[in-house]
Amino acid sequence: MRGGWLHWTVAALAAAFLAAPSLVVLGASFTAGNIVAFPPEGFSLRWYGQVLSSTALRGAFLRSLEVAAVCTAVAIPAGTLAAVALARWRFRRATAIQLYLLLPFTVPLIGSGIGLMLLFGELRLLGAVWPVGLAACVINLPFMIWAVAASVNGLDPELERAAANCGAGPAQTFLLVTLPAVAPGVVAGALLMFILALNEFLVSLLLVDARTVTLPVHVYNSIRAVITPDLAAVSSIFVLAAAAAIWALDRLVGLDIFLKAK
Amino acid sequence: MTDPDARPQSGSGLGPATGPETSPETGPARGGGPAYPLSWRLLDAIEGLAALWPARASGAVKWALLAPALALVALLLWGLGVMADASLREMDFRTYRLSEDWSLANYARALGSGAFWATARRSLLAAAVVTIICLALAFPYAYAMTRTRSARLRKLLLVGLFLPFFIGQVVRAYGWLIVLGQEGLANEALGALGLGPWRMLFQYPTVLFGLVQYMLPFAVLMLAPALAAIPEEVERAAESCGASWPRALLHVVIPMALPGLIAAALVVATLTLTDFATPAILGGGTNDFLANLVYDQFFRTSDAGLGSAITLLLTLAGTTVAGVLLAAAGVAALGVRGAR
Amino acid sequence: MTDLSRRRLLTTAAALGGASALPFGLRAQEPEKPAEIIVRAWGGVWVDSLKKGVSDPFTAATGVAVRHDLTEDNEIKPRIWAAVDQGRIPPIHINWDTTANATSSALRGACEDISDLPNLANVLPLARPIGLDGVPIVNTYAYVYVLAYRPEAFPDGAPTSWNVLLDPRFRGRVALYNDGIGFHPAAQIAGGGTLADIPGDMDACWEFIAKLKDQQPLLGEDPDFTAWFQNGEIDVACTISSNAREARANGVDVAWTVPQEGAKVDTDGMWIPKGLPENELYWAKRYIDFALSLEAQQVWLDGLGLPGVAPGLTPPADLAGDPSYPTTEADFAKLLLVPPRIQAEHTAEWFAKFKEIMQG
Repeated sequence: MRGGWLHWTVAALAAAFLAAPSLVVLGASFTAGNIVAFPPEGFSLRWYGQVLSSTALRGAFLRSLEVAAVCTAVAIPAGTLAAVALARWRFRRATAIQLYLLLPFTVPLIGSGIGLMLLFGELRLLGAVWPVGLAACVINLPFMIWAVAASVNGLDPELERAAANCGAGPAQTFLLVTLPAVAPGVVAGALLMFILALNEFLVSLLLVDARTVTLPVHVYNSIRAVITPDLAAVSSIFVLAAAAAIWALDRLVGLDIFLKAK
Repeated sequence: MTDPDARPQSGSGLGPATGPETSPETGPARGGGPAYPLSWRLLDAIEGLAALWPARASGAVKWALLAPALALVALLLWGLGVMADASLREMDFRTYRLSEDWSLANYARALGSGAFWATARRSLLAAAVVTIICLALAFPYAYAMTRTRSARLRKLLLVGLFLPFFIGQVVRAYGWLIVLGQEGLANEALGALGLGPWRMLFQYPTVLFGLVQYMLPFAVLMLAPALAAIPEEVERAAESCGASWPRALLHVVIPMALPGLIAAALVVATLTLTDFATPAILGGGTNDFLANLVYDQFFRTSDAGLGSAITLLLTLAGTTVAGVLLAAAGVAALGVRGAR
Repeated sequence: MTDLSRRRLLTTAAALGGASALPFGLRAQEPEKPAEIIVRAWGGVWVDSLKKGVSDPFTAATGVAVRHDLTEDNEIKPRIWAAVDQGRIPPIHINWDTTANATSSALRGACEDISDLPNLANVLPLARPIGLDGVPIVNTYAYVYVLAYRPEAFPDGAPTSWNVLLDPRFRGRVALYNDGIGFHPAAQIAGGGTLADIPGDMDACWEFIAKLKDQQPLLGEDPDFTAWFQNGEIDVACTISSNAREARANGVDVAWTVPQEGAKVDTDGMWIPKGLPENELYWAKRYIDFALSLEAQQVWLDGLGLPGVAPGLTPPADLAGDPSYPTTEADFAKLLLVPPRIQAEHTAEWFAKFKEIMQG
C-alpha cells in the first residue's frame, strides 16, 4: 500500500482520538451508580429504562428531527445553487462574496443566536419549530456550499459542453448533467447539515421555549445542573440511531459516494 | 428555476427536446413513439420557461443562483445591524437600558481591557495551532480513506468520522472531563506506570486538545473530496518519472489538494476562533475565548452594548483571518478551475 | 395514595382555598384556567424538590399543570427582555431566579408587581425585596456562600478563616464561582476591609482576589463544585452550601463552615414577567403565593436544605443549628448581606474587575 506506515499510524491514532470520548460516554451510560464515571460502577440498564420511558425526551427528539429536516431541505437547494454559481461564473467581488457567505462561521454563535432571536421575535415566528431549522441552516450554510463546491470543481466543464453540443437545452444540461455530477457533494453536505442541525444547541437555546425544546438543548440545560448517567444514555441512544441512519444511507447510496467525486 | 440560457457558451437557441445522451429514457421513446415520456415534457416546459428569461438579464442569472444563499446569510446581517446600533450605546446599570445617544465608549472599554486582549490572544493562537494540527492529522486520515483499496477499512474510517458528530460537543467535552480528570482514566494509567497524577484539565493545552478533537472531522470532510478528485494515476506518473513518494506528495498531491486544504483551514480557523463550549467546559473558567466574553456580557452582566461591541470585533477578526487565508491561497478557494 | 400524601393534599387544598378567599384585584370569580403554566427552574435536585414541594401539590389542588423550563437563569433573561420589549407573550410564567439577577429585571421594568399576594402578609420580612418600588420579586429562601472543604485535607479540624484559600498547600485545588459572586464580601473582610465600604471602597476585596489568582483557582458554576468534590479535583471552595450537601449525599466526604470573617448570605426569589394574558397572570400569582405557604416550603426546602421565609418551618435534621442555615436575627447578624440593588447596579463592574484579575 502506498503511503508507508507513518501515514497509516497517524490515521489510526487520529481515529482512536476521535472515538475516545464517545466510547467513554457510551461506557458510562451503563453504570449502576448515580454518578457519571468510567469505568462504570457495576452494570445496569436502569438509565436506559428511564430515558426510553420519558415522553418529554421523545418529544424533544422528534422536534430535533424536524429541525434537522427543515435545515437540510433549505440547505440543499440554497447551498447547491450558490456553489454552482460560485464555481462556474466569475464574480467581480468573489472574495467579498466568499467572506460574506462565511459570516455564519465568523459571527460567534451567541451573537447569531441573539440576532436571530430578535429578528424572529419581530416577525412573531418564535414558538414554532421550523424557524429553529432555518436558523440551523443559516449558521451551518458554509458547510453545504463547500461540500458541493468541491464536487463542482471536480466536474469537467467539457461534460456540460458536450451535452449542449448534443442539443441539450441549458436547463436540461443543468438538471441532467451538472446536478448528477455534483451529487456526491450534495449528499456529503446534506448529511453534514442534517447531523449538525440535529445537535445544535447554542443558537436553538435562544429560539426554543419549554414547549418546543429540542434534544440537544435539553441535554445542555440538564448538564448545566448536574451530569447524570441518563444524559450519557441519551447520547448512546442518539449514537445508536445515528449508526442505523448511517447504515441505511450506506445501503441506499453507498457511504463513500462523496469520496468518488469525479 | 433560474435561467440557464444566460449561461455562456450554452449554444444558441433552443433545440428540439432531444434528451441528453446520459438519459436512460432516450432509447425507447425516440422515433415517434406514442408519446414523449413525462420527464421530457417537463424538461420542455422548463426550457420554455427558460426561454422567457430576457437575454439581457444574462448577468443576473449567476446572482439569481446565488440569491437564496445570500438571503439566508442576510438573516444574520439583520442581527448584526441591531448589534452595530447597540454597540454604540452604553448600558445604564440603574435602569438596565441602553443610552439614547451614541458613543464609542463600549469599544474603548473592550479595547482598553487587559482581559479582552488576553482572551483575544488566546483565541487567535488557538485558531492557528488547532488549524495546523488538524490539517496535519486530517491529511493522512483523508488520504488513507480515499486511497485504501479495502472497502471495509474505508467504511470504518468513515464511520469513525461521522459518529463523533452525533455525540454533541458538550457531551463529548464531558467525556474528556472523565478521561482527563484528576482521578480519571489517563491519570490512572499514569499511576500504574508510577507517574502523575498530573493536572490535565482546565489548562490551555487541554482546551486546544478538545478543540482539535472537535474540529478534526470537519477538516477531514472538507479535505476528502479534494483528495478523491486527484486521480491516482497522476501520483503514479510522478513516481514513474523518478519522484520518490514524499516528493510526489509534496509537489503533486498537496498542490492539487490545495482548494481542499484551504477550505479545511477556513472552517477550522473560523470555528475555533469563535468557539464557546470547549473553553467553557474544559477551560475551568480561566481559559476563556472571545466568545466566552460575548456570552458573559449578554447573559451574565446583561450588558448588550459591550456584548455587541465584542461580537462585532470578533466577527471582524474572523473575517480578517478568513480574508488572509483566501488571499494567501492566491485564488479564491472556490471556482478556480471551473470559472469562465 | 398513602394517608400522608392525602393529608398533604387536603391541607394544600385548604391553603389554596384560603388564598382564593382574598382574590387578587377584587376578582369575584376565578379567571379561566390555562392548560399549564411554565416555571423556570434549575435542574437536578433544584427542580426535583420544587416539583415535589410546590408544582405537584399546586396541580393537584388547582388542576393547572406545571411545566418546568430548565434554561439557566442567565440565559432566559435576554429572551424575557426581548419578549417584553417586542410586546410578545413571554416564554415563561414564573422565573425562579437569584434575587440579584431578578433585581436587574425589576430595574428594567420587566416584572409584574405582585404585592397583592395574600401570603405576603404571613411571611418573614426577608421575603420582601429591599430598595425596589412595590414588590416585583418575592424572596423565597436564603442561602449562604460557605467555605466547603474536604475533611481529609484538614486533619487539624475545620478551617477558621477565608485566608486558608491562600495556603500554598491548596495551590490549584481551590474553587470559586466564575463570576466571583458570593465571594466579594468575604474577600473584602479577609483582605482587611469592611462590609460598609461595599461598594465605595473595595480595594481590600480585589487585593485578596489578586492573591488568590496566584493559587490557580478553578472557576465554575453550581454543578461544577459538586463534580469537582466528587472527582477529587479540589480541597476547598467558596460555594453555596447546597452543592456541598449534594456531594455529601452522593457519598463524598465534604464538610462546610462559616469562617470567622462571616460568609455572604443571599436570597433567591420568584417573579412574573410582564406581558402575560390576564388569566395566566392570575394563576402565576397563585403559584407564587402557594410557594410561600408553610407546607409548600417545608417539602421544597427540605430538599434543598435551605431556610425559607414561611415562619414555623422545621429544619432538616442534618442542618439544625448549622451556621449555613440561618433562622434567627442573631444567625443573620453573623452573615454578610449586600443589598440586591447594590449588587445589581454593580454586577457588571465587579464582574469586569474579577475577569480582569482572573483572565489577565
